[in-house]
Amino acid sequence: MIISKNWLADYVQLPGSVDDLVEQLLMSGLNHESTSAVGDDLAVEIEVTSNRPDCLGHIGVAREAAVLFGRPLHVPDPRPLEGAADASKSIAVRIDASDICPHYTARVIRGVHIGPSPSWLVDRLATVGIASVNNVVDVTNYVMLESGQPLHAFDLAKVEGGQIVIRRAVNGEPFTAINHKTYSLDERMCVIADARKPVAIAGVMGGADTEISATTVDVLLESAQFAPLPVRAAARGLVLASPSSYRFERGPDPAMVEWASRRAASLILELAGGTLERGFVAAGQLASAPASIPLAAERVEEILGVPIADARQRQILTSLGFVEVSGSGPHAHRWRAPTWRRDCWREIDLIEEIARIEGYASVPENVAVAVRPIELSSREKTLRRAGEVLVSAGLCEAMTRSVVTQAQAAAASPWGEAPPLVISPPLVRGADRLRRSLLPSLFEARGGNVAVGVDDADLFEIARAYLARPEGADPVPSPVHEPLLAAMVVGGSFSRAKGLAEAVLAGLGVTASGATIEVRPAAFDLFEPGRSAEMVLHREGRSAERIGVIGEVARSTASAYGLVAPVAAAELRLDVLAFAAELERSLVKPSDFPAVERDINLVVAADVPWGDVEAAVRSAAGGMLESCRLVQVWQDAERLGAGRKSFVISMTLRSTSGTLSGEAAASVVDAVVAECGRRVGGVLRG
Amino acid sequence: MTAVSLDSFRGELERLRADAEAALAEAVDAAALEAHRVEFLGARSGRLKAIQKSLGGLAVGDKPAGGRHFNEAKAAITAAFEAAQARIEAGGLGPAAEAIDVTLPGEPIRLGHVHPLTHTIRRVQEIMGRLGFESVDGPEVEDQWHNFEALAIPAEHPARDPLDNFYLSVARTADPLLLRSQTSTVQIRVMENREPPLRIVSLGRVYRPDTADATHYPMFHQVEGLLVEPGITMAHLKSVLRLFASSFLGGDVHVRFRPSFFPFTEPSVEVDMEWGGRWVEMGGAGMVDPAVLEAVGYDPDVVTGFAFGLGVERIAARRYGVDDIRDFYRNDVRFLRQF
Repeated sequence: MIISKNWLADYVQLPGSVDDLVEQLLMSGLNHESTSAVGDDLAVEIEVTSNRPDCLGHIGVAREAAVLFGRPLHVPDPRPLEGAADASKSIAVRIDASDICPHYTARVIRGVHIGPSPSWLVDRLATVGIASVNNVVDVTNYVMLESGQPLHAFDLAKVEGGQIVIRRAVNGEPFTAINHKTYSLDERMCVIADARKPVAIAGVMGGADTEISATTVDVLLESAQFAPLPVRAAARGLVLASPSSYRFERGPDPAMVEWASRRAASLILELAGGTLERGFVAAGQLASAPASIPLAAERVEEILGVPIADARQRQILTSLGFVEVSGSGPHAHRWRAPTWRRDCWREIDLIEEIARIEGYASVPENVAVAVRPIELSSREKTLRRAGEVLVSAGLCEAMTRSVVTQAQAAAASPWGEAPPLVISPPLVRGADRLRRSLLPSLFEARGGNVAVGVDDADLFEIARAYLARPEGADPVPSPVHEPLLAAMVVGGSFSRAKGLAEAVLAGLGVTASGATIEVRPAAFDLFEPGRSAEMVLHREGRSAERIGVIGEVARSTASAYGLVAPVAAAELRLDVLAFAAELERSLVKPSDFPAVERDINLVVAADVPWGDVEAAVRSAAGGMLESCRLVQVWQDAERLGAGRKSFVISMTLRSTSGTLSGEAAASVVDAVVAECGRRVGGVLRG
Repeated sequence: MTAVSLDSFRGELERLRADAEAALAEAVDAAALEAHRVEFLGARSGRLKAIQKSLGGLAVGDKPAGGRHFNEAKAAITAAFEAAQARIEAGGLGPAAEAIDVTLPGEPIRLGHVHPLTHTIRRVQEIMGRLGFESVDGPEVEDQWHNFEALAIPAEHPARDPLDNFYLSVARTADPLLLRSQTSTVQIRVMENREPPLRIVSLGRVYRPDTADATHYPMFHQVEGLLVEPGITMAHLKSVLRLFASSFLGGDVHVRFRPSFFPFTEPSVEVDMEWGGRWVEMGGAGMVDPAVLEAVGYDPDVVTGFAFGLGVERIAARRYGVDDIRDFYRNDVRFLRQF
């Protein structure tokens, strides 16, 4: 809302400095956007919150200034001279949809001279950024900006059948607005129609057919109340927002319907001549007076934390136009809100008004707040720990959009089969699918880095994915499941991504809690066939659950995202891992006794996976095994035989109860070799 | 005694001397040094002693020369031993290494970096945690009740317009789902499940259709605090925000309230904090609207509460001098590595 300083001064004596005015308005709820000089006037742009349609007119802002500076408010009381002819002979008004138009009034002015507006009117409109059209149209705009009540003037001669009907639009009904564009209306919208056709979209814009033109002689002046929803449906649906729709969406003062009509008629007579017909033709009725509101004086302090004297409370409310009604006692007043403050209907609303005008400066800022213990949730601890591990591994944390393009959403998700959920409108152009995995977004982010010459952007992100729950699941906690994921994309092979995933799991202490993780081959859309895996969590008493995927990014994926191969990636289900994590572990005291290193060179069939060998080693070695490392894998048909390979395994053995003897170590190694022989057909290389 | 030629005697001495010097130069600690001393210089069975014994086998005419050679070798080995002893006592690792170019680069370590928005969120969580506010979290896909109704945003409210929200195109038209437009939804969920007293901060991603520009992005982060207890007033709100501002910005920071409007708080205020000698808008706040308390089954005559919300991107942008909030979502590592 742009305010003209000169115009505002018509209603209230302003302080000498506009800065004082702006500061006081700012501190009472009208945020200051800018002040700029226009001719000899100042245009002051203020931000009016949606609950204050009364301040979408100069009188409303002047009322605030009058209260803040303790000065009287002068609102004109126009008494246009009426002629002998009765307006109701010229026009009939009927409301067919009272839910969307509670009150409609029409006046008729005949014999006007359409011409330019006088300079004072042109200047004032220019200050608030509105171009002058002609004297009659300018008056309707002027009175709207004065009162907050939108008006419309029709060329009466073009209104057919001497009739105005306010009704819902018919689906597909065409309408050409004064901007000379044609719109297709629908039944959510409200139109003003004559006997034959719509002449305006109610509360939004008039029609080209009936607009005031140089040849207009007789004017039909509309002042009415329209419900917010149909106005919004039209303004949004047709992308046709106007100053009028802006106000009707917020609900102007219903009492201004009649005042604005008088005011505009009076100004038209003054500026364009003509004769005003007697009375106005109305349909519907004014909203009834609001109910009274109780206010317990002590309640103000209970909310604000600072006492405000009873007399001061009453003074503020009275100056704002609230009326104290009978039945008030010394500590329990009842008030009736003014018609322009329909946002105030409860005690708390009155308290806010008192606080707003009194100002919040006196609210204490040193009140003690009792200490209270809290702890981070296990989910929060889990995601922080996972992030710490990945940062310490040298990755940068990325933040990507939750919504991806159809192409990015096309890859099947490791986390569910339901198709991606679609939103409207798209988050950004083309992106209207809720992501089911973070990986495509991270590939895009890495590709974006390649595009600016950084080929090695190793990134991770911790965020949610969104998956529709299967139909019929009962009970349904929410139709959408939002797993918390940690995804990472790095340069290198499968083993780098696997190392990172394992580091996260180790950081979370997943296996310390007694759970085990199985890694097994699994194919996924984005990964190279044969070079990807799933990680499965096994927990006592629970079914196995996939908690991770790892793989080398498929060459086709890499090229689609502009990545420089080799690239590997992994994604982990942190929400599940939060339950398996053991973030605060009990100490396992390091042994003071020396370790014994034993290496074995185990030959197995070429298709035996390391995981099986490791499992055999661990199970046979038992508690003595401190670590088991794979040192080397090699294949050599001549030396090992065809279809054979050798694992060089280094074991660190240590006892917590004494120095391990050579015999004890040898018996562990023997047991390991025997177990490997049983489980995977392994033999020591001779 | 076996006859020994002077040449072979000298050869033995030279080998011994070379062995001893090499071994002593490589000795890394006192134990190794002692072992070498015993091996080479040992009075009973050291190798030098053994050679000394063969001195008697030289021809008489060769003995003076042999003795001279022996003494030279013994002196050299003793010197090498003493040098090694001095080096080990001094903690050294051998003869002085070649001087290096200290301006050559160190071995690069690739550091990872936490995203600046995460830094900012954690900082808020940490400060609010000290004030007893527990971090809570909830779904991003929300229903009408939690995103609107319970927050006193009725069906006809413009905030519910389809063009102002990201609605999901699913069949459930009776209760359309949407991406939450504020994290107050989480506060409703917590209040529905817990009784006061309550102190929480909800944080996370929120979504509003806005054309992306330097100061707007259709996805952003909010941190919202909520405190509900009997007897809570705006003075508590101001005091908590002042503590927050002083911790976050450092020093004794004052806060200022300006009247504003939010559907779920009444009174509602904008919160300004002093930053760099100016009042800077930090977010919105207010007393929890009685309608909201009633919606979650609390009695507004028994408890009151306050709520406040901060825009994470705005705070982070100001804190780090980022002039385009889209940079937070570009994931350019040249940007990320600066934090």
